Amino acid sequence: MQPVGMYSRDRCVTGVHGLDEILRGGIPYGSTVLAAGTCGSGKTTLGMEFLVRGANAGEACAHFTATEPSVKLLENIRQFGFFDMKMVDTGLINVFDMDVLYSWLGLEKASFDLDDVHSLIKSIVDIVNTIGVTRLVIDSVTTLCYKIKSEQLIRDFLFTLGKKLATLGCTTILIAEITSATENAHWSSFGVEEAICDGIIVLGDVERMGHLLRFLQVVKMRGTSHSRAKHAIELTPLGVMLTPMLKWGAISDNLNRWGS
Amino acid sequence: MFELDQGIADQLTEVSLNSSVQVRCGNSNSFMVTASTLIPLLQMFEMKGVYISASRGAAEVIQGFESVGIDVSQIQFIDLVSSGILGGTNIPYNNVHFVDSPIMLESILLRTLYILKTNQSERNFVFIDSVNALAIYNEDRMLAEYLHTFINTFRQQDVLSVILNVPDQTPPLVLSNLDLYCTDLVDRGQVVIH
Repeated sequence: MQPVGMYSRDRCVTGVHGLDEILRGGIPYGSTVLAAGTCGSGKTTLGMEFLVRGANAGEACAHFTATEPSVKLLENIRQFGFFDMKMVDTGLINVFDMDVLYSWLGLEKASFDLDDVHSLIKSIVDIVNTIGVTRLVIDSVTTLCYKIKSEQLIRDFLFTLGKKLATLGCTTILIAEITSATENAHWSSFGVEEAICDGIIVLGDVERMGHLLRFLQVVKMRGTSHSRAKHAIELTPLGVMLTPMLKWGAISDNLNRWGS
Repeated sequence: MFELDQGIADQLTEVSLNSSVQVRCGNSNSFMVTASTLIPLLQMFEMKGVYISASRGAAEVIQGFESVGIDVSQIQFIDLVSSGILGGTNIPYNNVHFVDSPIMLESILLRTLYILKTNQSERNFVFIDSVNALAIYNEDRMLAEYLHTFINTFRQQDVLSVILNVPDQTPPLVLSNLDLYCTDLVDRGQVVIH
């Protein structure tokens, strides 16, 4: 129950088991969320499940893949029971290869200048607008930004893209690759993504006696209160599942102070 | 000759779905106590369940149950032992799930929740075999915290939790927490004061 007169933003219910509870109902509509994680931490699965849950509710979704070809992405994701290839066949989930997009735009070059960045933003926004996309995933913004050499341009690119997508009512997850998810790490590769985005979800591993346990932590989410605790995650055939991580086991072995 | 402990079945008629039962056994009677607990759950109460096997590999547990006529088709096993043995996961049972190690406590909880989600039964139990085996790998405070979370998670979901332990091999902190959180006690253990 909320106090009388308290304003609450409409939510994009992610449908991911446990995540909406952490976010007290879901991601505020139109937000741009950075999902930053180490390799193998479940970023792509999380992003794809976010789209699948939207598609199940009849929303148009889009996935821009820069890290692997769409064919390979779909082959990998087919192992999960929550994914149905019909969603792609019927156009509810639209998967775009960034390489193909670059080719269409004549951007097959090593680095992008200001005009290239604007051209890229325009094409993404046009696709979102034409299809009526309400859920978008870019996997990964790190790979994409490697072609943008200036920090200022990266900032402009992400800020402008996020602003335009929000205007269209599209909730976006930008996937970012990071090398470490420990306390002192940055949550982005270029140091600017985290400041631009409305929300940051960190995914990583906690090492416990030689085993890696995946975790997810919502560090920031504008427009909603949320838990900031570490949650253990499992990638099951039903999708991502979360549970609060044990307090006595939430830090890696090399950082903890048991018994000292 | 195997003889069931009918007293356990009688005691289980008193518990409800959201109960958490601590079952204490000794080294010599653990199999008899386990079987005497499982048989009424499966046959009298027609429940389905998840059996978390930390003491022995699931294949060995299944063979033991089958040898005394327990139908394990309604049980999904989470095996915490066999992944630690090279080739240990090559077993001929399709109702066994593997977690890499008993230290991955959250993974065990999530795997249990996953199985219950795919399970079409309204009446479910989760059975931990055993706290003392988990205590070999896990620090006392973490294990106590885990059992607290575990019991409350399943109580909230109306899933009966049954926690087996050999009291004289269970850390005192963990044991006293179990006494506090569990709603019922089946005591067939021998406490040895060292």
